[in-house]
Amino acid sequence: MVGLKTRFFTANGIVKAIDNLSLSIKTGETFGLVGESGSGKSVTATSIMDLIPDPPGRIVHGSVYVDGFNILSDLPKLAKIRVKSEKDVIIKRNKRAIKRHGYVLSGIRGSKVAMVFQEPYLSLNPVITIGEQIKEAILLHNRRSIAESLIKRETLNKEDVEKMIDNIMSQPDLLTRQAIIHDWCLDYGIPDLETPVNDLVNNSTDRDFIVREATEMAFAERENLNIDDILTARDYYKNVDDLHELNLRKLELESTGNEAGLAEIDARISDLEASLRSEFFSYRLRLKIMKRRYEKPFEVVAQRKALELLRQVNIAGAERVMDSYPHELSGGMQQRAMIAMALSSTPKILIADEPTTALDVTTQAQILDLIRDVNKRSKTSVLFITHDLAVIAEMCDRVGVMYGGNLVEEAPVREIFKDAKHPYTTGLLNSIPRAERRFEKSARLESIPGTVPNLISPPTGCRFHPRCKFKMDVCGEKKPKLIEIEKDHRVACFLYSDEVEEEPKEEVP
Amino acid sequence: MELRYFIIRRLLVLIPTLIGLSIFVFLLMWAYGPCNLVSVYYTVRSHNCAVIAPQEGIYLNDPVLTYLTYVEHLITGNWGIVGGSGFFLPQGQVLYYISIFFPNTLQLALAATVLSLLIAIPLGTYIGSKPNSAADHFGRIFSLSGYAMPTFWLGYLLIFFFGQGVSSFPTNVLGFVGNGLVNYHHSLPDWVSKTTLLSSPTHILLIDSLLNGDPAMFVRAVDYLILPVLTITYGILAGILRFIRAGMVDSANQEYVKTARAKGVPEKVIIKKHIRRNALLPTITVIGLLISSLLGGVVVVEEVFTYYGIGYLLIQAINPRSFEVWLVMGGTMVFALILVMTNLIVDVLYAYLDPRIRY
Repeated sequence: MVGLKTRFFTANGIVKAIDNLSLSIKTGETFGLVGESGSGKSVTATSIMDLIPDPPGRIVHGSVYVDGFNILSDLPKLAKIRVKSEKDVIIKRNKRAIKRHGYVLSGIRGSKVAMVFQEPYLSLNPVITIGEQIKEAILLHNRRSIAESLIKRETLNKEDVEKMIDNIMSQPDLLTRQAIIHDWCLDYGIPDLETPVNDLVNNSTDRDFIVREATEMAFAERENLNIDDILTARDYYKNVDDLHELNLRKLELESTGNEAGLAEIDARISDLEASLRSEFFSYRLRLKIMKRRYEKPFEVVAQRKALELLRQVNIAGAERVMDSYPHELSGGMQQRAMIAMALSSTPKILIADEPTTALDVTTQAQILDLIRDVNKRSKTSVLFITHDLAVIAEMCDRVGVMYGGNLVEEAPVREIFKDAKHPYTTGLLNSIPRAERRFEKSARLESIPGTVPNLISPPTGCRFHPRCKFKMDVCGEKKPKLIEIEKDHRVACFLYSDEVEEEPKEEVP
Repeated sequence: MELRYFIIRRLLVLIPTLIGLSIFVFLLMWAYGPCNLVSVYYTVRSHNCAVIAPQEGIYLNDPVLTYLTYVEHLITGNWGIVGGSGFFLPQGQVLYYISIFFPNTLQLALAATVLSLLIAIPLGTYIGSKPNSAADHFGRIFSLSGYAMPTFWLGYLLIFFFGQGVSSFPTNVLGFVGNGLVNYHHSLPDWVSKTTLLSSPTHILLIDSLLNGDPAMFVRAVDYLILPVLTITYGILAGILRFIRAGMVDSANQEYVKTARAKGVPEKVIIKKHIRRNALLPTITVIGLLISSLLGGVVVVEEVFTYYGIGYLLIQAINPRSFEVWLVMGGTMVFALILVMTNLIVDVLYAYLDPRIRY
């Protein structure tokens, strides 16, 4: 995330919610974002997927790279913003560009970046069952792979089974065997066979017998679907995915201004669109008319996967929960369901926006465990947003401290707690209530004087200076730059460096 | 299961409601003049009740007894006598006339409700998904003017512009021809009764003409209906539209919409599946209320268009030249019944659609 600026254009003036924020999250790490309420943590989270409600908000500058692709590469095209005065801003939106932006982003949201929100009871649709909501998420991004696994299952033959069994027979190690069977079953879309095949292999050494039995079981799993339909569906969804991929690449090229590449991509896009229109015309028509028939195999797979996801997030009675409505579940269960939904397409990064704030303490611990588990198991990066420093200490590898829309300090979690540099961070740490301190002589809890600044007219220079104990003259005049003062430890404060953050030349409201 | 008990409970509540209402209307009629109540006993209306009543052994000095007699008539199916001198219908039983006029009203109300839903839901979805756009402003002006315009005024406007000469819309409707009261100049198909002009099997001409495969008759029925239906539709449409729009705007700001976006649901599906479903829930309640107000509208519209429905019948009944006491009471009872039943249906529908509501 580089130089991100998000603004809310309100009747009282422009709220500079995020100002020039840059941070990066590595694969597999958990990055914590802390700060007071109103410091811009949640806005940061929603900006990553460009989920800022418009109106009133807009990201006005910056780039967000997800998996190497800048999702904001078409940002300048989306809207022209002309600021007459703070309270009078004219925004001219380019509807076509916004539509395309939405189309491209919808393929990334949920599949590469997933999000868990603060209030699970508000974040689930009250009139749709949990199962239906999870299935929706699965079917949005995985149709092609579902079709492929369906084809594999339906066309599975004896040779495939033989190959797998031979592979197993050559492996003496039990765990490796189990892993092979697990992968094979998932690959062929027959997860229910995992246990029986395992038993079979463990209880017998007769290769031919095992092959015969396993083949029989695999054949029994077939649903005798119309294979032509699925093949067409596979090709169709492959084209749809390709089209999205091409559009993604087109956006990238547009921002770099590569004319030759653009022309080529344009040609390929129009080719694909034409083929989607002509070749798959009858399939799409049939899909519209006989939705049930063509959707059923996908629904069945999604249903199974949703159940598996619910079990994965430790929901007791997953079958029952599938058919429940959100209000029938407790807060903890709702949050688990949200996490299950977020995991439906194994995202690269999971954004957890205060996922435990609305839950009671014991449930909090379970949810935290769950998120940590997800992080460890599938190497998903986690952006963890909270104002609870204890949670940060528990969960995160690195921590960023936000104040007034700026990142003021960024360091590994150990450093933050042992050796915090920025006066705001130390103030924050001192204001944590601790059980043992109650019985010490100076039993007063420290707090940072003053309140969070109004971001319509933020303080000049360092935004923290009006509340800072170590205020110097320069603090009110210039803005400190985020500087690496130790390895991996960056601070924006004039106590440690004189470097000033230069305002970008271009006019940004 | 609980829903069944809820329905039964509501149906039981219907009984005291109807009793209370009948007492209230009865008292009003009594205040108008006990003499008019004679006809419940006596087949010939007479203003000379001071003479007749004692002869027949009628207790006109005892309202309780008179009321109980009326209840007895209500239960046995004879709701009193109507018609004769000064009235536009020949003498007959109230229930008989209601059963003839009511299907016409039902047809009008159903057509108006269906039409307004068909227009309001897509239109409301569209303008509600784009708040403050040009389409939204237009839609709001459209619905506000529908709210503000009295039905009779709109009715007369429509008659003025489309009903006379300008187009071929007939402003008179297919209705009652019994005893040659209305000169019906078309030959009637055999599935329409010659005496009551009621079509079979549903008594609703729009549906029956289709069921019997008679497109010409269907076109004629639509022709008769179109102006009154449009008049009523505009009023209800305006109300539903406003509520759907407000619901859409409200739902669009909910957290679950953000969740859906974060899942990567395309905007079109978000609007249809996530926003609209939630926006329609409060609208259902409003539809119930609007149908009640529609009943009032029906009376006015039927009078304006001389449409032979129960509203027209009621207006005739309070004509000072021939004040038809029993018809007023019967008509009021029917309206009350419809009102309670629609509210019950709306409540049940709401419980069915909103999983959070359980009775």
